[in-house]
Amino acid sequence: MVHFSAEEKAAITSLWGKVNVEDAGGEALGRLLIVYPWTQRFFDSFGDLSTPDAVMSNAKVKAHGKKVLNSFSDGLKNLDNLKGTFAKLSELHCDKLHVDPENFKLLGNVLVCVLARHFGREFTPLAQAAYQKVVAGVANALAHKYH
Amino acid sequence: MLSAQERAQVAQVWDLIAGHEAAFGAELLLRLFTVYPSTKTYFPHLGSCADKAQLLSHGRRMLEAVGVAVQHLDNLRAALRPLADLHAQVLRVDPSNFPLLIQCFQVVLASHLQDEFTVEMQAAWDKFLTGVAVVLTEKYR
Repeated sequence: MVHFSAEEKAAITSLWGKVNVEDAGGEALGRLLIVYPWTQRFFDSFGDLSTPDAVMSNAKVKAHGKKVLNSFSDGLKNLDNLKGTFAKLSELHCDKLHVDPENFKLLGNVLVCVLARHFGREFTPLAQAAYQKVVAGVANALAHKYH
Repeated sequence: MLSAQERAQVAQVWDLIAGHEAAFGAELLLRLFTVYPSTKTYFPHLGSCADKAQLLSHGRRMLEAVGVAVQHLDNLRAALRPLADLHAQVLRVDPSNFPLLIQCFQVVLASHLQDEFTVEMQAAWDKFLTGVAVVLTEKYR
């Protein structure tokens, strides 16, 4: 189980408090769909994903990004029990959504880039390290119930 | 492999890095070692805790090689042949490490360029660096 030090938790929560979760969610999901276009395979019903502009302005992408990041936000409140927090979602992603867990890692990395873009120099190597640890922990938790 | 538009994006990003290879390279290495400590095993000559001068020196060397790649997008294999040989015969960096370096590179770009770091730039740069990694590891066996 991944362990977060007091310093890591402090860095994570202080930055997250300044994040617009709705905007960041849409940004992260949009960038995922463009930088790694094969991830679009899960979103056939989302309409026009044909160009970067289409993806970034797509209402369904923004709505879903917001949903995903709100869920991620819940995880940040339970860093000591990510597996428990995401158990139900893990089952859903395996049994109903059939999402390769590799995609959780890709989205996590894109989210880190979105945070870096937002925070600039404030996103120090230590802040990045803390957040890469979080996204890896969430990705593992989401994969944990796969069978 | 890269479209004309993607090449333009790569060149545009490089214009922002050129002249600052040492600073960008040092930050890239610092992030790599901080976020992914196991990567330090490939840099024993940088000591257990690399100092600023070492990071700047090695960082510049790495970014200058990226610059060579940018100037030779049409012929990466020929341009990077000495480096490909070096990685295959001497360095033998496990291929799984290149995505870690690429992620740190994206974070450096994102944190410096911020609003200017468009999704098109991120996509083109990711594709370009992945292509460089392929060339550097394809002589491994």
